[in-house]
Amino acid sequence: MLLKEQQRFEQISTLWITRAKGFITHMNLRIEGHGPDGVTVRMPFNPAFCIDEPPTLLHGGVLTALLDSVFGLVNFIAIDDISTMATLDLRVDYLRPAQSRADVLVRAKCYHQTRHIAFNSGVIWFDDDKGDEVARGCATFALTRGERNLFDIQTTPRKPE
Amino acid sequence: MTPEETNTLLMKRPFFRFLGFTIVNIEEGHVAAQMPFSESYIGNPVMNYYHGGIIASVMEAVASVAVWQDLRNRSLKPINLTVDYLRPAIAEPLNVRATVLRKGRRMASVEAVSWQAEPEISVAKGLFHFLLA
Repeated sequence: MLLKEQQRFEQISTLWITRAKGFITHMNLRIEGHGPDGVTVRMPFNPAFCIDEPPTLLHGGVLTALLDSVFGLVNFIAIDDISTMATLDLRVDYLRPAQSRADVLVRAKCYHQTRHIAFNSGVIWFDDDKGDEVARGCATFALTRGERNLFDIQTTPRKPE
Repeated sequence: MTPEETNTLLMKRPFFRFLGFTIVNIEEGHVAAQMPFSESYIGNPVMNYYHGGIIASVMEAVASVAVWQDLRNRSLKPINLTVDYLRPAIAEPLNVRATVLRKGRRMASVEAVSWQAEPEISVAKGLFHFLLA
């Protein structure tokens, strides 16, 4: 892997985690690495995301939110001049009940991009002995390209008109 | 079951407490709910829009209530979902209405729609399939 690519990955990953707010912060995501198959992210087990008591079974919506979040990250990494993006549509298949107290791992990629649209796919599994896949998903995002990206907008004030 | 009784049962589930939605109306095959805004639901940190995954989560939750409310003794497994996002959801309450399109012996299909100020101005629409076990 090129040094420049690695630097870009590390820079965007750090920004994405540190500037996150709201639900992405709650998921407590950790970016594990990246390769030709995509970016791998870890979500630690969180009892607040379960729908049973004592908590073992994750609600499917959490897996959907995890895929949506990581698709956003991979698009920031894959698309050089991305400014903002919005999810257009999302499809998730729940392959088996998400019942484990293990951490969740997700691997996602941007498998195609056009000027206006990014196409994403991803897979989720538990970091346990079996490593069974629990969900797969795909999505499309509407892209806005430009010089100022999401992070610039947050850090640099707008120039006066 | 009344909305109050349903809410009492739902709030026993940790993730439904996190989502903090309330069932406001129950009819045969239809359920309506409202979720107040919380900072924890933000997805876009610049514009403070809801996270798309939170919108999908509450729609899936309300869709499951629409199927489950008249077959309490059976368990419900989500099979898959598709959600189309039509416009961003701003930092205000989100309303959800779920309608059972088909309920067979083994499978149920539920449509859900979410909106904020005006019911005609949808934020997202989704279709959810459940296995009845």
